[in-house]
Amino acid sequence: MAFFKLFNNNPYFKYILGSIIFVIIVFIDLQLGLFASRTVNLLIRVVYFSVVAIGFNILLGYAGQISLGHAAFMGFGAYLTAFISNNYGLGFLPTIILSGLIPMVFGVILGLVALRLERLYLAIATLGIGVTIEFVFREWVWFTNGFSGVRLSRPEIFGFAFNNSRHFLLLSTIILFIVILFTYNLINSKTGRALSAMRDSGHAAQAMGISLFKYKLIAFALSAFYVGIAGSLYAYAERYVHPSTWGAELSLDMLAMVVIGGLASIGGSVTGAGFLVFVPRLVQDLPLIGEITNINFILTGLAMILVIRFMPIGIYNWFDYKFIQPFYIKRLNLNKPGGDD
Amino acid sequence: MKKLEVKNMTKRFGGLVAVDDLSFKVEEGSIFGLIGPNGAGKTTVFNSITRFYNPEEGEVILRTKGSKIDLLDYKTHQIADLGLARTFQNVELFGKMTVLDNMLVGAHNNIKTNFLIEGFRLPGFKKKENQAKTKAMEILNFLGLKKLAHQFADSQPYGVQKLLELGRVLMSEPEIILLDEPAAGMNDSETDKLSDLLLKIRDEYNLTVFLVEHDMGLVMDICDEIVVINFGKSIMQGTPKEIQVSPEVQEAYLGGDDEF
Repeated sequence: MAFFKLFNNNPYFKYILGSIIFVIIVFIDLQLGLFASRTVNLLIRVVYFSVVAIGFNILLGYAGQISLGHAAFMGFGAYLTAFISNNYGLGFLPTIILSGLIPMVFGVILGLVALRLERLYLAIATLGIGVTIEFVFREWVWFTNGFSGVRLSRPEIFGFAFNNSRHFLLLSTIILFIVILFTYNLINSKTGRALSAMRDSGHAAQAMGISLFKYKLIAFALSAFYVGIAGSLYAYAERYVHPSTWGAELSLDMLAMVVIGGLASIGGSVTGAGFLVFVPRLVQDLPLIGEITNINFILTGLAMILVIRFMPIGIYNWFDYKFIQPFYIKRLNLNKPGGDD
Repeated sequence: MKKLEVKNMTKRFGGLVAVDDLSFKVEEGSIFGLIGPNGAGKTTVFNSITRFYNPEEGEVILRTKGSKIDLLDYKTHQIADLGLARTFQNVELFGKMTVLDNMLVGAHNNIKTNFLIEGFRLPGFKKKENQAKTKAMEILNFLGLKKLAHQFADSQPYGVQKLLELGRVLMSEPEIILLDEPAAGMNDSETDKLSDLLLKIRDEYNLTVFLVEHDMGLVMDICDEIVVINFGKSIMQGTPKEIQVSPEVQEAYLGGDDEF
């Protein structure tokens, strides 16, 4: 009873509990080797794509702005990480923060574009910018090493090298945890409310003293920062950055994660990232269906259509409303979700 | 003392003159009405004062905290901080947010935190946030909406949404509020309740109320002074009694005899 009350009243508890369980599983895995190393690599993918999805969700779900060029920021973050660690040998933390901050500046520039455009036109413009930057990655050999790609080594903190993927999984999970807490706090305070207000009614937001100029830029800057950090994690995890990764397909995957998992929801972002990483892999092992080329794209498209048709609030939110909330509402004899005062 | 003065304001849309050399003054602490037939330019006046439109000529003088300022020197989002807040003709709420969050957006300028304080919950956050929350609950209680605090705004009935918009305006600690047709879509008994509420709000929060309204019953009941406009021009300004007997006003609403 007290346990459920804690669960319902303190939203942090959900995240902290989830993270602790995850960290314990990873620790046990470190000792016993529960997962196949392939699964560990997939989990690392889920973690960095979760950071991407949370960043993209701030933009699309909370602030109501669309961008189909965010793959470019992820690529930029990844290349920056490779460039900085290969040429300047900075440590893991400064590198990852720089790989977030520099794309953030470019995010602000994209935000300036977004001030003049809306909806479909914004989508077209950002798609154009994304494709342009993809070609810049191919041709800017000094920075990206062109089609040969760049290699880099695993990160090191205070002399401890994360050579084992299991160790790196733990490290990236901790970063994801910090990102989730920071985002949760931000969303449930003045800035987050201003972003949502801007999405629901621009006129009313302005009349209440919210500068659309400022908060559109904040939305683009924050999401570019998150996506840049995720790109940095990508570079460290894969240890190889290639220009063909950062095309429009990746931007559309980001969109799919957020829509499938749940708009304007942190849990939804993580769910969406998990869905997009795991489901195509599971399907690939099936007979017949698994042999179709590009099955992952077909599946993503299909999942997106089904989710929009049957659970437009996203898988995570649907599950939450249907099963989890009724569960503890029943346990606590509450009349409505969220408690009453 | 005059709280708000509109001086020789003109707003054109292409060849159409929506507001034509309009001047009026709003007394501090009064309930001031702006009326006129459909298409007279009432909402345009509101939008020009709150800077959603850019009037070509004129001045809008607001007296706030002892100083006189021209609102036309400021941007739309800066107006709320000067102590002037407005509602909209078609209720503009943040539908996907809860009733409480809608109220807290109203206090946007009064919660002084930045994203670092918010993201890491640094010291000082809780105090500022809780102050705003307490105030929001007080106002919701005052409006009788306390029980709905955690429900979504767009799932509320129209009457509640209208009240909530009023509550959100109060959260910004305004000195003067501009209400665009507060009684639109209400029946007689709801309108009566609204008149009582507006008087109560004026006294409780020491506000000046400036409203655009079609419901003559409400306007004549509660307004201290009224300005009548037609085709963007001021026809007359006076007390409700003077307005009611004025032949010019009757002509504007019902049409003159000589035209036919």
